[in-house]
Amino acid sequence: MRISLNEIKLIDDHIFNQGTHEDALLLDALLILNPALSNQIRWQKKAHTIIKQYGRKKLKAEIESVHRKLFHEPIHQSFRLRILRLFRPG
Amino acid sequence: MADRNFFGITTAEREKVFMTLYKKAFPAVAKYVSKMGGSFDGAKDIFQDALVIYYEKTVSASIELQTNEQAYVLGIAKHLWAKKFRENVLHTSLDTYRDDIMDEEDMQPSPAKLLHYLETAGQKCMEILKAFYYDNLPVNKITELFGYSGVRSATVQKYKCMEKVRETIKEKNLAYEDFIE
Repeated sequence: MRISLNEIKLIDDHIFNQGTHEDALLLDALLILNPALSNQIRWQKKAHTIIKQYGRKKLKAEIESVHRKLFHEPIHQSFRLRILRLFRPG
Repeated sequence: MADRNFFGITTAEREKVFMTLYKKAFPAVAKYVSKMGGSFDGAKDIFQDALVIYYEKTVSASIELQTNEQAYVLGIAKHLWAKKFRENVLHTSLDTYRDDIMDEEDMQPSPAKLLHYLETAGQKCMEILKAFYYDNLPVNKITELFGYSGVRSATVQKYKCMEKVRETIKEKNLAYEDFIE
């Protein structure tokens, strides 16, 4: 892999606590040699936050699709009625 | 260890699992929310957030796969419901389940425009990164799913995509001022 891709792997291992002790020492050394690396770590953490938001958005769309099927398709009518009955005013 | 593949690999496989979970667990959650004076829409929101949490916990193997999913999802939903009312805030549910890896600054909502930009300009990369990091799929399954020649190609592509997304974030400057709507 390219050096920059190895650096991404090293940062990932640091973020997820998956690296070896040697990896941690290497990252510490690289941070001393190149203080700008701390910004790369920051951007990579942000990237993970964005990926998580993207994942949740897509997953919620999949769940919503299931909900639409259950509450609109005739085949699920008995389930739908069973649920809606719970919210009927007394 | 939890079966990370419990939810399947493809959208169609996940749909089957969610359909089963909906049928098994939603009635109990709806009954509880109704008893607490909530609405159908309130029950739906709470339940869907609970499913997202259950999914995330299962695929990250931070919980054992539950033999009684109904009770587990109901437990999450009750927690979310209680929290919603304790804080008197409508949409705080998922934010209560923070990842240990994220610090406070990183868990701030990212600008919608940046996410939208990445979705349109780099959707393939976002899908690959989602498969690796969010869905936690095994690399051999990702190789198959995305049609790579081998595990190594898929792994290199993951890091290339991360580099691309990271550079985009850097360029757009996540100090947020460029993206304030």
